[in-house]
Amino acid sequence: MSPIQCAQFERMLEEQPGDPLSAAAAEHMKGCVDCRVLWSDIEAIHTAGMEWGSEEVEPPEYLWTSLRQQLESEGLIRERPAQRGWLATWFGAAPRWTLAGASVSLLLIAAMLAGYRMSDFRTSAALPVHLSISAGRPKLVAADLGKTLDGDFKRVFDSLPEGNPALASSLRENLGIVDNLIAVCEESVRQQPDDPMARDYLYGAYEQKAVLLAAATDRSALEGQ
Amino acid sequence: MKGRVGSAVRFGIAGTVGLALFLAISADAQTRRFERHFTVQGKPVVTVQNATGRIQVRAWDKQEVMIVGQRGSTNVETDTEQVGNRIEIATRVTSGSGNSDALRADYDISVPVESELQVRSDSGNVTVDSVHGEMSFDTVAADLALQDVEGYLVVKSIGGSTICTRCAGRFDGTSISGNFQLLQPTMDNVRVQTSSGNILFDGSFMNRGIYVLKNYSGTIEVRFSSSDSFDVRATSLYGNVINQAPVVPDRHNMPPPRIGLAKSLFGTMNDGRAKVELSSFNGTIKISKRE
Repeated sequence: MSPIQCAQFERMLEEQPGDPLSAAAAEHMKGCVDCRVLWSDIEAIHTAGMEWGSEEVEPPEYLWTSLRQQLESEGLIRERPAQRGWLATWFGAAPRWTLAGASVSLLLIAAMLAGYRMSDFRTSAALPVHLSISAGRPKLVAADLGKTLDGDFKRVFDSLPEGNPALASSLRENLGIVDNLIAVCEESVRQQPDDPMARDYLYGAYEQKAVLLAAATDRSALEGQ
Repeated sequence: MKGRVGSAVRFGIAGTVGLALFLAISADAQTRRFERHFTVQGKPVVTVQNATGRIQVRAWDKQEVMIVGQRGSTNVETDTEQVGNRIEIATRVTSGSGNSDALRADYDISVPVESELQVRSDSGNVTVDSVHGEMSFDTVAADLALQDVEGYLVVKSIGGSTICTRCAGRFDGTSISGNFQLLQPTMDNVRVQTSSGNILFDGSFMNRGIYVLKNYSGTIEVRFSSSDSFDVRATSLYGNVINQAPVVPDRHNMPPPRIGLAKSLFGTMNDGRAKVELSSFNGTIKISKRE
């Protein structure tokens, strides 16, 4: 059994999504903290994906479209039409629009994780979505995604009905709470990158933000009729 | 004398105008108040969508759903529909102008004891009393009060708080900043998650019951009696765990998870028949003895 390097480990994860680790990869992971954390993250995201998939999240379609266009225009993502993606594997079908919100969240989480630990990767980072994100700019991805999401929040909040100030006030207040949670959890993950519990809370905080956006969008569309 | 007569005339005119105004207001209020009745067979499913206003649902012993509504102005309409045992009530804004009072609608709804409810409200209070059946609530800022209800209860809120008194069955609640209080529950499956809200569970843990309570900040408090039997896992990553339960190390050979720097408690009280999982990011977890 010949030893493998980090790049090979990542490639194996990318090319054989969902498969158990090979003996060589498992051996490499034992001695490599980065790859061990990466594997742990992927498993956690996988689990989160399964849970969200069963909840039939219904996010706004334009959010996914704009996000995708932005990533494509920056050359950060590319399609793999011939290959069935991880997301599809997890949810048992091709990605649907109804899962777009979960996908956005997964992208955000992945981007955040990339921002923490992959900034020095020399090769393509393996991310558990059917899109691959080019290496070298993970922090930019996280920042851009954050801006996109914030822009979407602004648009949705601007379209909330004026006759219900309590609704808008509550949504804004809770967005502040969630953003604060995310900041605190990010700091926690920075301080304890190997702590799965800290990462779980960060995933949860992002999930809360996705839920909040879905609720706000729902209200703005419903009441704008 | 002349002055006295003039004064009486003026008083009479003012009274007449006042009476006319009162009658006009009263008539306007009457036109905004309505009552509708729907006869049902068996267990109805009642759906209510009301952005702003109070919703009160009570059980009664008739096989009929009665809706008494009061609209805040003519800028809102109430649509109702019955298809078999499905009854839908929806508030519709006909004119976007007006303040929140003008766009609100209040409902008093009477339903058979065995009924399913689906309620969606953004702001305003929702109360449900003595209804048995599956219930789901989707709210933003609306507070929710459930009393003597039974069934599978699902609560999704953004900022609204929930108080569930003498509830039975199963409870699944999520919120961002809302508090949850479960008082004297008879529930064997409880899952509650709130980000910055407090959680209080004040009741007995049932045999084979599973209770999972989680938040980021705020307090999670569970109160136990000496006869309660449960396994407990309580972990606060950056907060505290305060325990008054006389727990012993887990008797079921379950190893405690690796928890790093977190404050935690793992153990069994009595035979450990129920499972209690409490977790917080930086909040305080209290396991308190009931007075």
